[in-house]
Amino acid sequence: MPPIENTVWLEQRFRAQGYIPEPALLTSLYLQARLARPLLLEGHAGVGKTETAKVLAQVLDTELIRLQCYEGLDANAALYEWNYQKQLLAIKLQEGDARSLADKERHIFGREYLLERPLLRAIGERDAPAVLLIDEVDRADEEFEAFLLELLSEYQVTIPEIGTVRASCVPHVLLTSNRTRELSDALKRRCLYHWIEYPDQEREREIIRARIPEIPDALARQVVGVMQSLRGLNLDKPPGVAESLDWALALLALGKSGLDAAVLEETMGCFLKSNEDFRVLRANMEGILATMPGA
Amino acid sequence: MNPIHPQAEQEAVSALLAGRLTDFCHGLRGRGFRIGVKETLDACRIAGRFMATDYPAFRDGLRSLLCASEEQWRAFGPCFDAFWSRGEQSPPSAPAPMLPDMAGDSAEERARQIAGRDGEAEEGDQEGTLTTGASAAQALRLTDLSLLSAADLRQLERLAERLWRRMSLRLARRLRGHYLASRIDLRRTLRRNISRGGELLELVHAGKKRRKPGLVLLLDVSGSMNQYSLFFLRFAHALQQHFRRVHSFLFSTHLVEVSEVLRGGDLSAALELLSHMSLGWGGGTQIGESLQKLNRDYGDSALRGRPYLIVLSDGWDVGETELLSAELQALRRRVSKIIWLNPLLGMEGYEPLTRGMRTALPWLNVFAPAHNLESLLDIERHLVG
Repeated sequence: MPPIENTVWLEQRFRAQGYIPEPALLTSLYLQARLARPLLLEGHAGVGKTETAKVLAQVLDTELIRLQCYEGLDANAALYEWNYQKQLLAIKLQEGDARSLADKERHIFGREYLLERPLLRAIGERDAPAVLLIDEVDRADEEFEAFLLELLSEYQVTIPEIGTVRASCVPHVLLTSNRTRELSDALKRRCLYHWIEYPDQEREREIIRARIPEIPDALARQVVGVMQSLRGLNLDKPPGVAESLDWALALLALGKSGLDAAVLEETMGCFLKSNEDFRVLRANMEGILATMPGA
Repeated sequence: MNPIHPQAEQEAVSALLAGRLTDFCHGLRGRGFRIGVKETLDACRIAGRFMATDYPAFRDGLRSLLCASEEQWRAFGPCFDAFWSRGEQSPPSAPAPMLPDMAGDSAEERARQIAGRDGEAEEGDQEGTLTTGASAAQALRLTDLSLLSAADLRQLERLAERLWRRMSLRLARRLRGHYLASRIDLRRTLRRNISRGGELLELVHAGKKRRKPGLVLLLDVSGSMNQYSLFFLRFAHALQQHFRRVHSFLFSTHLVEVSEVLRGGDLSAALELLSHMSLGWGGGTQIGESLQKLNRDYGDSALRGRPYLIVLSDGWDVGETELLSAELQALRRRVSKIIWLNPLLGMEGYEPLTRGMRTALPWLNVFAPAHNLESLLDIERHLVG
């Protein structure tokens, strides 16, 4: 795996993967690796939090291990579990075997009966550090957060039947949160923090061009113009970059080369997801079209 | 990835810079940033790495190290600019006089000492502020809702929001215990697998899946009850996700369902609307009639599936007691629990002697006060099991 040399190197690699990062994010990622600390990413929906981890794994040419958090996530689902069925079968097969009881027990609590879940996999035996994405950590409950904190400070876990598993190399840990609840101070202190802002006009256009090279420049400008003014309105769910990309693709598929009120009306379902927001857009349609580039 | 090694000497920073960084961290701490010794040391490393070559990266690096929320992220820029541009104007000269002379020590060592001292101070400070903060909050929790000023009420709402979120997490965990009991039920496992000649292939886990209960709220909005009821609605709203479905009703002389109004995202706007709506409702409370309407008209919707029923009322009833008694009895058969919250119960020396309350008492599972935040939080234990 290529180590992260500096932020310039990172930027080149990220851009090569079609991800146009803000410079500060690169610094955070670089420090994450240098200080071997987890990085907590927050930001509005659709600004590329999860994508950051995916691209980082591609850039470092390593495995992306993803743990999607949800309410009720527990250590069994996140760390490891014994394969009970297999163990029971093994016991059956061993019936009449001459081996001692201790031997048999050692056998059925061996590695081959262990189901590795994401966290154990991330700190398990490997040549290069993996990228561990702990997605939407705010959805898991506080109990799990405490457990996570323990793991992230020592990078080791103890499995009673086997012993302590220690990371041979510390993974790149990225956490994302949508702020549905406050994370504990302890976890926040353990992490570096980065707030991903919506990209500015210039960068958003660059992102669209990078992801959808075949889009005409004029259309990309218009899409970005509309998106930027939409984020200024008081919407229920302001569209993120992901929505810009979806919308741009949709416009291309429909063969549209420019935007007007009719096209917006027809395609607003690509980037707005509620009837209330539709109404806000309709009410502000004129203003948005007037400020759109090339209008 | 390798942590930074001590031998990376080129990254060590000058004593002066270490002092400045420590001051900077100290300043941020005063603004509520949580920065410990470890962060200060890491700040020195970042400075050693970037300061000389890349000023923006130095700034970005410190920001990601020292911030822990969006608010801090936004506040950091101005703090940083104010501190470090001031520093550039005054040329670096001798270290500040208050620092002991440590000419021989390495810069990091020095930062450690300075930061360590600050760290201790911080610990003490924090404890101090936390205690005062806690006791103010505690007092607010115990204040009767009808006695609060508008400003206090807003503050209480914020506090309540936080506490309820914590409580609803706790509730989720307790309920989960019923859902996912992962203990293997050995007896049933063996029995289930007899057809396979005793090969244990299919495991049976102990415990049954339990469905989330529904919740029906009946809120008295006659005159004196208004303030309590509307505040209580916030509480109910916070709990919404832990119930299959929450049906909310307002009543005084008649019964109105308001579930849909509350289901929208903007609770404050909904409450505003409701408080205007209920203002026009004069006259005495007719609990019996309201319950009758609930039984008759909402039996198939709100009362389906044995929900929990919470009634918030002071029990001043002008209707017939026979009707109230009969309707409560009927309700008792349809719901799994009747919880009656009476704000007056929080008053010193109150006895539930009103006609309505006396009639209702035999049919209730829980009779509890609800006059302040503390008592609302206490309801949690009635909502599980």
